Amino acid sequence: MSTSTLAPSAVDPGHRTPTRLHLAGLLPDPTMLRLEARRVLRDPITLLFTVALPGFMFLVFGSSQDYAGDAVGNGNVAMAIMIAMAGYGAVTATVGLGASAAVERSHGWGRQLGMTPQRDIGYAAVKASLAVLVALLPALVVFALGLLTGAEGAVRAWALSFVVVAAGAVVFALYGLCFGLRFPSEGAATAASLSVVLLSFLGNIFFPLSGALLTIAKFTPLYGYVALARYPLTEGWVITGGDLVHESLWVPLTNVVAWTAVLAVAATLLVRRSRARQ
Amino acid sequence: MTITPPRYRPHDLPSSIPSAPAPAPAPAPAPTRRAPATLPLEGSAAHTPFAVRLAGLRRTFGARSGEVVAVDHVDLTVEPGEIVALLGPNGAGKSTTLDVVLGLIEATAGEAAVFGMRPRSAVEAGLVAGVLQTGGLLPDLRVGEVVEYVAAAYRRLPHAGVDDVLERAGITHLAARRVSKCSGGEQQRLRFALALLPDPRLLVLDEPTAGMDVTARREFWATMHEEAERGRTVVFATHYLEEADSFADRIVLVAGGRVVADGSTEEIRSRAAGKVVSARVLDPAAASRRLTALDLPGDVRLETQGHRVLVHVRDVEAADAAAITLLTACDGRDLTVVPASLDEAFVALTSQTTSQTMHQEIR
Repeated sequence: MSTSTLAPSAVDPGHRTPTRLHLAGLLPDPTMLRLEARRVLRDPITLLFTVALPGFMFLVFGSSQDYAGDAVGNGNVAMAIMIAMAGYGAVTATVGLGASAAVERSHGWGRQLGMTPQRDIGYAAVKASLAVLVALLPALVVFALGLLTGAEGAVRAWALSFVVVAAGAVVFALYGLCFGLRFPSEGAATAASLSVVLLSFLGNIFFPLSGALLTIAKFTPLYGYVALARYPLTEGWVITGGDLVHESLWVPLTNVVAWTAVLAVAATLLVRRSRARQ
Repeated sequence: MTITPPRYRPHDLPSSIPSAPAPAPAPAPAPTRRAPATLPLEGSAAHTPFAVRLAGLRRTFGARSGEVVAVDHVDLTVEPGEIVALLGPNGAGKSTTLDVVLGLIEATAGEAAVFGMRPRSAVEAGLVAGVLQTGGLLPDLRVGEVVEYVAAAYRRLPHAGVDDVLERAGITHLAARRVSKCSGGEQQRLRFALALLPDPRLLVLDEPTAGMDVTARREFWATMHEEAERGRTVVFATHYLEEADSFADRIVLVAGGRVVADGSTEEIRSRAAGKVVSARVLDPAAASRRLTALDLPGDVRLETQGHRVLVHVRDVEAADAAAITLLTACDGRDLTVVPASLDEAFVALTSQTTSQTMHQEIR
C-alpha cells in the first residue's frame, strides 16, 4: 500500500492547502457582517425596542420635564438622562444580539458553520462588530434627540460619553450570550432584553435611587456602565433624592471591570459546557 | 439460480457497481471489507487511498452522571469514489460517527482520518462537507443570502460560486425566498447547496431525505447521483432500507454503536436473511427428511404449508442445493426462489447484534 496512488478525482488536494491564519482571521468578514446587519434591520420589533423606545423615553422623562435644565457637572440634567437612555437602548440591543447568537448557534447554525473552515474566533469577530453597530444605532438616535431638545454639556463630555455608551454596551453582548446559552429557546432574546429593564432600574438609569437601594445598585452590572458614561458630564456628581453626592471614578470603574470579568468567565464556561453536550 | 425483484434505481443505476470507479490498489478487499485495526493511520495523502478511515472509533457522552456510549467500536474504510450507506435504527451511532468524520466532535478513543488527515484539517482544506439532518439555517435570511454567508466562510479557499451551487441543487428559483418560507425538502436542498460550496471530494449526508415526501426524495437522490458521477465519494446515513439499497454501492449496517455487516447491497441482502426456496411436493414429510439430510450450510429453517415446502436459507449455495433437491429427489413442482425482504434482513441483523452486544457487556 506504500506505493499506491490516489484514484483520480474531481479535485486535486494539492492545490487546496489553505493559507494560514494571519491577522485577517481576527477581522470580521465583510460579507457576513453585511448579512448580519441586514438581519437586524429586518426585525422591526427589535428596532422598536432598541431605538424607538429609548428615544421616546428620553423625550418623556428627559427633555420635556421641568428639571431638564437643572445644572449637573458641566451640563444639564437632560443630558444626564440622555446618556442613561442611550445606554439603556444600546445594552438592550447588544443583550438581544448576544442571546439570539447563542440560540441560533445551539439550533444547528453552529454545526453548519462548524463544517466550514470558519473558526470560532472569526464568528466572534463578526458578532462583536455587529454588537458595536447595533449599540451605535440607539446611541446615535438618542444623542441626536438630545442635541435637538436642549441637552447641554461640554463638547468633551458629548464625545466621551458617546464612546463609553457604544463600547461599554458590547460587554453586555456577553450577558446576552450567557442568557442564551443557559436557556437556549427562541424566547431567550426577549427574556434577556426584559431582564435589562429590571437591571436598568437597579442601575440608576430610569430615576435617581437613594439610600439602601442606591448602595445595592452600585453592585449591579448596569450601574457602573451608565455611571462611567455619565462621568465626563457629571464629573462624579450623582443625583440622589434631590441632593448631589460625589462619587469617585474608581466606583463605576471597579464595577465595570468586575462585571466584564464575571461575564467573560461565565460565557467561556457556558460555551465549553454547550460543546461538551453536543 | 437467483431471482432479483425489480427495484427503483434513479437514472438506471447499474444493479451492481464495483466498489470504486477507479480501482485503487488498496490491500486486497476482504469479503466484509473491514480493515484490520492495526493498520497505521499516519502517512501522506498520496499514500492513503482512503477517503475515510476509522479504526476502533469510540465516542461517549456525559462524563459525570452515567456515560452514554454512542459509538462503541467502529472500523470502517471508504475508498475514493465509493457510495456508502450507513444503515441502522435510530440511536445506532450513525450521526455520531458522521460528526466525527466532519470534525464536529472528537473521538473519545480510536482514530479517524479523512483523506489521510485529521477530519478538521480535511474540512479546512475543503475536502469534505456535509448535509446535516435538521436545523442549521438562519430562518430570517433569504436562500441566496444563506449561501452567500457560508461561501464567505470559504473565502480563503477556491470555492464554487453562489449561483453555481444554487443551480446544481436545483433551487435557483428560490434564491430570493426567505428560508422560513421554504418547505423541508427545499431547506434540505439549500443545505445540499451549502455542502457543494467547497467542491468537496467527500460528501457526508446525515439522513438527507428525512421529512421529504416521495417525490422530493426521488429528486434529491437523482441530484445526488449526478454529483456522485462527478467522482465524489458519498457517505450517507439512513434508516430507510430502500434508500440504502437503491443508491449505495455498499451498505454498512450499524447497530448498538458497532458495525454489524459490511458489504454490497446484494451481499447484505443475502447474508442477512437469505432466500426462501419453495415447491409443491406430493409427500411433504419425505421431502423434509431429504432436505434435512442434505445438511445445508448456515441456518436453515423448514416449513410446510399444505403440500408446499418452504426452505429458509442464508446463502445462494444453500438455495441452489435446496432447489435441486426439491426438483429432482422430491419430484417438486412450481418452484419459487424469493429473496427475503430487506426489512427482514435489517431486523434480523440489527436485533441479533444488539443481543450479542448485550451478552458481551454482561460478560
